[in-house]
Amino acid sequence: MAKRKFLLGFSPDLVNEAIVYRLVKDYDLKINILRAEVREQGGRLLMEVEGKAGNIKEAVRYLNEARVEVQELATYVEKNEERCTHCGMCLSICPVEALTVERPSWRVRYDAERCIACGMCIDACPPGAMKFRL
Amino acid sequence: MKRTVAEINQRIKDGDVVVMTAEEVVSYVQSEGVERAAKEVDVVTTGTFGAMCSSGAFLNFGHSEPPIRMQRVTLNDVPAYAGLAAVDAYIGATELRQDGREEYGGAHVIEELVAGRAVRLRASSSGTDCYPRKEIDTYVSLNTMNQAYLFNPRNSYQNYASGTNSSERTLYTYMGKLLPNYGNITYSSAGQLSPLLNDPTLRTIGIGTRLFLGGGTGYVAWEGTQFKTNVETRFGVPMGGARSLATIGDMRGMSPEFIRAVALTGYGVSLAIGIGVPIPILDEEVMRSCAISDEQLFSPLVDYSVQSRNRRPIKHFSYAELRSGKVELFGREVRTSSLSSYLKARQVAETLAERIEGGEFLLTEPVAPLPADRGVGTLEVRSKEEAV
Repeated sequence: MAKRKFLLGFSPDLVNEAIVYRLVKDYDLKINILRAEVREQGGRLLMEVEGKAGNIKEAVRYLNEARVEVQELATYVEKNEERCTHCGMCLSICPVEALTVERPSWRVRYDAERCIACGMCIDACPPGAMKFRL
Repeated sequence: MKRTVAEINQRIKDGDVVVMTAEEVVSYVQSEGVERAAKEVDVVTTGTFGAMCSSGAFLNFGHSEPPIRMQRVTLNDVPAYAGLAAVDAYIGATELRQDGREEYGGAHVIEELVAGRAVRLRASSSGTDCYPRKEIDTYVSLNTMNQAYLFNPRNSYQNYASGTNSSERTLYTYMGKLLPNYGNITYSSAGQLSPLLNDPTLRTIGIGTRLFLGGGTGYVAWEGTQFKTNVETRFGVPMGGARSLATIGDMRGMSPEFIRAVALTGYGVSLAIGIGVPIPILDEEVMRSCAISDEQLFSPLVDYSVQSRNRRPIKHFSYAELRSGKVELFGREVRTSSLSSYLKARQVAETLAERIEGGEFLLTEPVAPLPADRGVGTLEVRSKEEAV
């Protein structure tokens, strides 16, 4: 089983398509939607996809054919290690504990795997070490 | 057991001095006892690294040809105060860039200068017979300026309230991002490592005390603004903001590792500074104060949704509880965040200890003590007569 993260972009005419349903039904994928928004320019969907590697590949082909913009993401949020002072302001902000403090060193660690791209740490970080990659 | 600063300095020069950080000394005193520890250890080093808004730098740019009496000055577009002699200015840490955006301010200018970078200086004047020039647009750095020193009116607060938020919206405060419905708690103190918590009545710290400032060397210049002594104590230590220090020190020799601009969204810009004060172990009493641990140090929790200077503490938490990452509040688990860096505070105390052991840093006796009895007044809207 593979697990990958994608950012999908929809033009306004595609907003009504039941794309997630197709991904589940036809490609047997387990989908975790991390962020979704619909605006005048169309929609964006950030999701984590789990399933057979072959099925994920097929699903991406389907999305391309359906004119959905597909962008694979390794990390959504980056931590600038030079800038981080390890204060720990982010610790009570991050809802999924992607940011944790290592004891007894008091070094703040960022686990990109756990990050769900909510972005709440970004405006909370005093030295400005956390940035969106999107 | 008695020891003098002169004796300690002789031991530093002889290479025999024994130094411990205020963190190391906690367990040392627990295992060896105060008497033994006081006998063995000459100096305890402290450290803190946090946002200290009341900070800034005096700069002297040198005279241009033809000369100018600078009346309006900006550095990288951040206004500096120039109501001084011709080419002197003071740049405050929280001053924002002229476009008003929160991401860049005086603290960033100070950090850039300390990092050795050049900043753009623009100045204007109406011109006088002795200073005919009306404008200048140039670059300056620590290499080109005559003097560049931090002079911070209030640093190293003895203790500080922690913050939470009972309202239904996220609050953006100088205590950081406070989530709705008591969603988190933020605090800002190095606790057991913090300078003024280890010498709570300032027996050894006064005007002229040499200290670690931003990676370089500085001195206590004066009492910090809002210095107060009439604060409730527990284990002999104030349970809230009490004493503070005005500090001064050459920016040359400072390091961006310990001088860091920070932006607090919705509030503005501030300067995080590393400060460490060495405490000479003059007797057992001084050692007893240095051995205080996070379990014995308390911070009052205040609700920042109350927009008044009279915020009553909801509760007091020890720094051990706050540092554990979560505390119980109204029967619910609430996560905590520190605004000051314990990792950096420890680096400050360790670096200072190394400098003392290496003979590079001698201790000082205060030239004059800081106030023993001081309260803080408030600002009211008064008539001219009522104000005197």
